[in-house]
Amino acid sequence: MLARVANNLFWMGRYIERSEHIARYMNVNYFSSLDAPNDLSQSRQFVLESMLYMIGDPKGQEDLKLSEKEVLNNLGLNTKSSYSIINNVKAARENANSARDLISTELYESINKFYHFVLNYDVDHFVNKGLYDFTVNITESTAILRGKIRSTLLHDQVYAIIMLGINIERSTQIIRIINAKYHDALNAKGSYGDQIANSFEWTTMLKCSEAYDMNRRFYKKTPTRTTTLEFLVLNGDCPRSVMNSLNQVFSHMQVLDRTKHPLKNSTSFLVGKLRAELSYMLVEEIEDNVKEFIERILNRLYEISQQMEREFFNY
Amino acid sequence: MEACKIKNRTFLQIQNQVAKQENIFSSYLRKPNLYDEVYSSGEASNPIYKKLLDLYGQYTVADFVNLNNKAKSSFFNQGITFQVYGEKDTKEKIFPFDLFPRIIDHDDWQIIESGSIQRAKALNLFLWDVYHDKKIIKDKVVPLDLISTSANYLDQMIGVDPPNKIYNHISGTDIIRHSDGNFYVLEDNIRCPSGVSYVVCNRTALKRALFGVFNHYQAHTVTNYAENLLETLESVKPQGVDSPTCVVITPGMYNSAYYEHSYLAKAMGIELVEGRDLFVENDFVYMKTINGPLKVDVIYRRIDDLFIDPLEFKPDSSLGVPGLFAAYRKGNVCLANAPGTGVADDKAIYTYMPHIIKYYLNEEPILSNVHTYHCSRPDELKYVLENVDKLVIKPVDEAGGYGISIGNKLTKAEIEKVQKQVKESPRKYIAQPILSLSVHPTYIDDKNSFEQRHIDLRTFTLLGKNKEFVLKGGLTRVALQEGNLVVNSSQGGGSKDTWVLKK
Repeated sequence: MLARVANNLFWMGRYIERSEHIARYMNVNYFSSLDAPNDLSQSRQFVLESMLYMIGDPKGQEDLKLSEKEVLNNLGLNTKSSYSIINNVKAARENANSARDLISTELYESINKFYHFVLNYDVDHFVNKGLYDFTVNITESTAILRGKIRSTLLHDQVYAIIMLGINIERSTQIIRIINAKYHDALNAKGSYGDQIANSFEWTTMLKCSEAYDMNRRFYKKTPTRTTTLEFLVLNGDCPRSVMNSLNQVFSHMQVLDRTKHPLKNSTSFLVGKLRAELSYMLVEEIEDNVKEFIERILNRLYEISQQMEREFFNY
Repeated sequence: MEACKIKNRTFLQIQNQVAKQENIFSSYLRKPNLYDEVYSSGEASNPIYKKLLDLYGQYTVADFVNLNNKAKSSFFNQGITFQVYGEKDTKEKIFPFDLFPRIIDHDDWQIIESGSIQRAKALNLFLWDVYHDKKIIKDKVVPLDLISTSANYLDQMIGVDPPNKIYNHISGTDIIRHSDGNFYVLEDNIRCPSGVSYVVCNRTALKRALFGVFNHYQAHTVTNYAENLLETLESVKPQGVDSPTCVVITPGMYNSAYYEHSYLAKAMGIELVEGRDLFVENDFVYMKTINGPLKVDVIYRRIDDLFIDPLEFKPDSSLGVPGLFAAYRKGNVCLANAPGTGVADDKAIYTYMPHIIKYYLNEEPILSNVHTYHCSRPDELKYVLENVDKLVIKPVDEAGGYGISIGNKLTKAEIEKVQKQVKESPRKYIAQPILSLSVHPTYIDDKNSFEQRHIDLRTFTLLGKNKEFVLKGGLTRVALQEGNLVVNSSQGGGSKDTWVLKK
């Protein structure tokens, strides 16, 4: 496979995954805040700030009076806002276009339909009445895309590259969600016991990663800081956890790099090292210093991405 | 308000037609002086179209509008579109596609197929000759100045031996049927002929919309083009290569034919590369893969001659690969089509095609040429200038239907302008009598009915080592404006699925 095209496919995977997480974050936070347990977590400003915090827009922390329509539009359909869903979807389709000969007709057609859906979505409707409809359509379309990726592509290097993009992006987005919701939990405290550890925001965090039901089934209790972090970071059976994503990155890396003992500081090596560290990490090590953990792991993921670039996409 | 009225009227018309149980052909008007492919034998329809007319006759107008919209969205969702650059934003449009197929019976097809191969072979021998011994010029069959003044003759190709002596691996031949019922070749395209992907798309779209009709006809498949193209490319591998690596090179995803490039690469299962994906080292060509450099042996290039290698041709071109031509000259890589083929599909050379076929193959041309006047010859120039209104005037080196003047459509002032242009540079122009292209019932969107529209046919011929192939089908192009004779898609033309019937 051409290095240039591999790079494009890697980013196609990342952009598809990214748009899904933004859409779900908007949906879950907005709608769960409507009947949240306290005034602060029910307030519009709090939710909008949380959305901006998650996406990394500094406006979320500037104590400004935010306009709901403006924030929703910037995250959803504003083509002038670099992080909007529409720009992610455009980029995903652009990358698919450049690799049109390599991906299946079925996958291309789904991406193309997805793109036209977003492109033609009415902005006024979206910011006034369409938030639920739009975001649900995004998350469903991305699920379809993942299905097409899995079932209409040969599981070779092309597939491995796309899956690497998806999983690196997924772990990054989960960490960003943890970061944002941890920030929210510090502000919107729960009403009993350890008020941070028992905040309502942990439940929201799990829903943001479609892991709430799984978490309830696994722990059989209301989610707390400990069970949420343990589940979303360390539980390899949770399909959205950082651990699971890294396991997938590890196995797809082996398709690209078949050496048994990877060279020091090769992508394979960096992935394996991070994966091994997380495999033997305890939630207590994270819980006591969440901020530091988040920063450390984001840096490591960034490092992996950089090394991939040097090793495979450098053309 | 006005638009609303029109809309209502159309709707009423549909309502009335449905009420009367009229079918979509009820209002089909036939002009007596045109050759109608469906009604060429007189009042009754041609036998091969009878079943089709019966089947389509079962649809009401409303049914058909619905089917037509479905076919359109099928194209749109598959992303078989081109960009239209507007003032505010770019829009994607589909190429107009007609749901009523064109049928070519077995006997007619034999003529078209053998004629296309004959021309492709003759052109190939001609190209070898004009870049080597120039016997045809020494024997005074073709005048020297036709070659020496051609903008498409590449000095760099003189004396270069393309692998297996093949220049035009892929040829597109534009064929029409005149009102006398015979086929004529309008032009040969042996640079980078495009359109073959639409042949396949049209078939797919028609199958999606009207699969039932295929039960009643035995039409040849068109999906075997890609495998034949790959065989052709592999057959012309450079010496010493066992299993060649073939690639398709494209100018990039913003090129108007990008869909076709990606379709062909996908259907052949080979890489679609851009110039920046390739590099040349020691006169061998490599592509940059995730596992390092990989040697490339055959390149199906969809980049024009002058852009393939900045070291040899246009120095500011970023589409090509520096050093590619040197590798080609050494025989380390095969380019399909070969550089410099443009000299032979020039419209001035076209007029010599009957002589060229005879000279190299010692055969009579199977497909006729349209009689052509060379403005470079004084007596013919005189005739052309006096009869502009009866002629089609074409520039010799333009493609895509640009610069064509159709005499009987011109105003007096326009005629004078054409006369002036031709007088200024006679070598640049040829003229042909205005041919009446045959017409075919074509569904017209705005009118919700079928009308006669002019059509042509582009066939796709492959030449490889011990290999000749013509795609059984080809692209039937339709001029969608009433009375218009220019069918090129860049001029607002549409296309039809084309069935070649089995014997």
